[in-house]
Amino acid sequence: MNHYPEVWGRPRDDIYGPYNSSYLQTTGPKTHTQSPAVTGTSVIAVKFNGGVAIAADNLASYGSLARFTDVKRLRVFGDSAVVGFSGDVSDMQYIDRLLESLDIRENYSTHGNMMNAKNLHTYLSKVLYKRRSEFNPLWNHILVAGFDEDKKPFLSSADLLGTTYSAPHLATGFGAHLAIPILRRLFPEEKPLEEISKGEAEAALRECLKVLWYRDARSLDKYSIAVITAEGVEIKEDQVIEAQSWAFAESIRGYGAQVN
Amino acid sequence: MMSFMGHQPQSQAVGYTFSQPTNAPNKEHSFYPYTDNGGSTLGITGADFAILAGDTRSVAGYNINSRYAPKVFKIGGDDDTGEGAHIILSVVGFAADGQALKERLDAVVKMYKYQHGKPMSVRACAQRLSTILYQKRFFPYYVHAILAGLDEEGKGALYSYDPVGSYEREQCRAAGSAASLIMPFLDNQVNFKNQYIPSSGDGHALEPKKPEPLPRETVEQLVRDAFTSAVERHIEVGDGLQMMVITQNGIEEIYTPLKKD
Amino acid sequence: MDKLVAQYSRPAHQNEMYSEQEQHDLTESLPPLSLKFNLPPVDNSRSWLRAMTDDHSNPSCPIKLAHGTTTLAFRFQGGIIVATDSRATAGNWIASQTVKKVIPVSRLSRGEDKANNAPTPGLLGTMAGGAADCQYWLRYLSQQCTLHEIRHKRRITVAAASKILANLTYAYKGYGLSMGTMLAGMTPQEGPALYYIDSDGTRLPGNLFCVGSGQTFAYGVLDANYRYDLTEEEALELGRRSILAAMHRDAYSGGFINLYHVKEEGWVHHGFDDMNPIFWKTKLEKGEFSNVTSEL
Repeated sequence: MNHYPEVWGRPRDDIYGPYNSSYLQTTGPKTHTQSPAVTGTSVIAVKFNGGVAIAADNLASYGSLARFTDVKRLRVFGDSAVVGFSGDVSDMQYIDRLLESLDIRENYSTHGNMMNAKNLHTYLSKVLYKRRSEFNPLWNHILVAGFDEDKKPFLSSADLLGTTYSAPHLATGFGAHLAIPILRRLFPEEKPLEEISKGEAEAALRECLKVLWYRDARSLDKYSIAVITAEGVEIKEDQVIEAQSWAFAESIRGYGAQVN
Repeated sequence: MMSFMGHQPQSQAVGYTFSQPTNAPNKEHSFYPYTDNGGSTLGITGADFAILAGDTRSVAGYNINSRYAPKVFKIGGDDDTGEGAHIILSVVGFAADGQALKERLDAVVKMYKYQHGKPMSVRACAQRLSTILYQKRFFPYYVHAILAGLDEEGKGALYSYDPVGSYEREQCRAAGSAASLIMPFLDNQVNFKNQYIPSSGDGHALEPKKPEPLPRETVEQLVRDAFTSAVERHIEVGDGLQMMVITQNGIEEIYTPLKKD
Repeated sequence: MDKLVAQYSRPAHQNEMYSEQEQHDLTESLPPLSLKFNLPPVDNSRSWLRAMTDDHSNPSCPIKLAHGTTTLAFRFQGGIIVATDSRATAGNWIASQTVKKVIPVSRLSRGEDKANNAPTPGLLGTMAGGAADCQYWLRYLSQQCTLHEIRHKRRITVAAASKILANLTYAYKGYGLSMGTMLAGMTPQEGPALYYIDSDGTRLPGNLFCVGSGQTFAYGVLDANYRYDLTEEEALELGRRSILAAMHRDAYSGGFINLYHVKEEGWVHHGFDDMNPIFWKTKLEKGEFSNVTSEL
């Protein structure tokens, strides 16, 4: 402890070593055990009247390399919940195994798998929080879509720190910047859920994925989309972005060699 | 230990050294386990009530994650809705730590009721929360907590905490990103700091106004004013105002919209 | 073969739930003030903690802890005077102006001041450094003192109590605790006794201590006017005046002057008074603080 008046009570360098600010830096050299290698980009989701729609493209990037182009990042759990993963793919597969065993355990129990999306989200956020507290995070940002115990549409997010939040439309990664404004314009939060149809929600997600494909360099034009309603989960895994128009690219100025 | 007081008082690095001066430490690029989810909370007590309030915005950097993420929770209620609770807690800072802290205190208060057959007093709960926070002294919960309830005499009780559990009972307290905007306002309006009784004297003879418990309507309006003002000047505060009022008759929750820009 | 089987029958994932013991610890409603602390899972946890909380080396460190500041205590013929300011700062932010930095340590004297002016038996501890550290460890000490009283049917001596605390802080040396505390009390065995204990594990008996960032200012006034044979009034006034000097010159000190007198029968509280009127009274009536102008 330092006894000089102006620094009274603070740690002394000769006992604690110099102040090490590297703990506070989130950038810097990569340590592969603790930061993601093969990653998936945005997941986007929106609630509608009677359900939730969620979508993610099929790309797993290795840095700037588009490494795997057929990776499904949506996972169905039970009969009315879907988890969408962005972030590290190996950790996604680990969580997938975790969910698999959870599903088996639940199904072998006397009551069958009664976990709804809300329960699943609570479970996953606890797993993520526990791992961050061990400084060994699962490097993912997850969206969970489905229903809560009152059969109302449920959509919530959990990230690698265990932070959770919920909103009528959510997006991870680049989607938080590009898709959220679109979704907030199409479906303002004042607008009651009852006025949003399944078709509108699905179309909006496809539109958002198109915008992401135009502007997110780590995205792909092949994607998966899942629609969860009371009838069950309808998942389409090999979708292609249609009606692309790159005409806007003509008008872009100021990048690379072309300055004006 | 006292002897080095005389040497080079201006330098922090130089001091009486027991060991060789150490070189720059090995860089450890470890995982950073915290984030700041922004927002602000505020609590004020009166003669027979206590109010805790918080905005409902949740941010990550410049992104708004959600416009409805509550920061004020009922503690020790009977079910999910918190029915039957008699203590409220607000947490601001890192939301995941806040959530963990809230769930932990909630479990403790419930266990107390089951084991002792009576509800936990606010004083005991305040003390307990302090020890929970201190248990993580070396890996702190990154939160500023405020606890509120009614004391043994039925008066409003408010306890505020630092991240590692030092606590104090107060009349009012603001915490979170806009604390520095709200707290001076509360000092003036609740504790009447720098207010003097008009024409009670000249210069230093002026008599300061004595603070007294405020009626509920006044306090509710103060809370609203504090937040509408904070929203104007802080980017991390906005969207909605969640207020919980605890009285003899239970807990009343009031939601009022705030600006969404 | 077994090895081979073990290799391929490895579970698909580790256990992601909390252990029974952990779950039990999480919900226990009345745990002892324990010595079990969570440490951050990094190689050098003390360096990590410092990176997060040292607001002097890095004014924008993420977690700013409340710190307390000027405290003093001295022995004189009539007992011990204990005086403190009441400001807590977190970085440059004044977190509170109403901190009670004198903490009663003992079972019988716990809680609020008595309405009548009768002395309350027990020890007094003061708080400088990390507010939470002082509050927690003085509470822990209080528990130990109570246990001592129950086991031995007599009040613990100040020497013994201070040693419990010093042993503790020494055990946690280097972990990052920050506290400078004084224990004052009067027991039949020792008479008036005053000890200084800090988070380095130092424990010193003495007549006079000032602790905290405002200590030098307080020492200046206290040393100049201190005599062992001060009367009670003189001693209280000296304690108050020394704290006032520190509040005036040290930015991290301020708020209210908290004054206590420890006598044979116990301690007596002599007020928690706003410094502002006291300052102006001292200036205008006694002509001190001539560096400050009184004209508006």
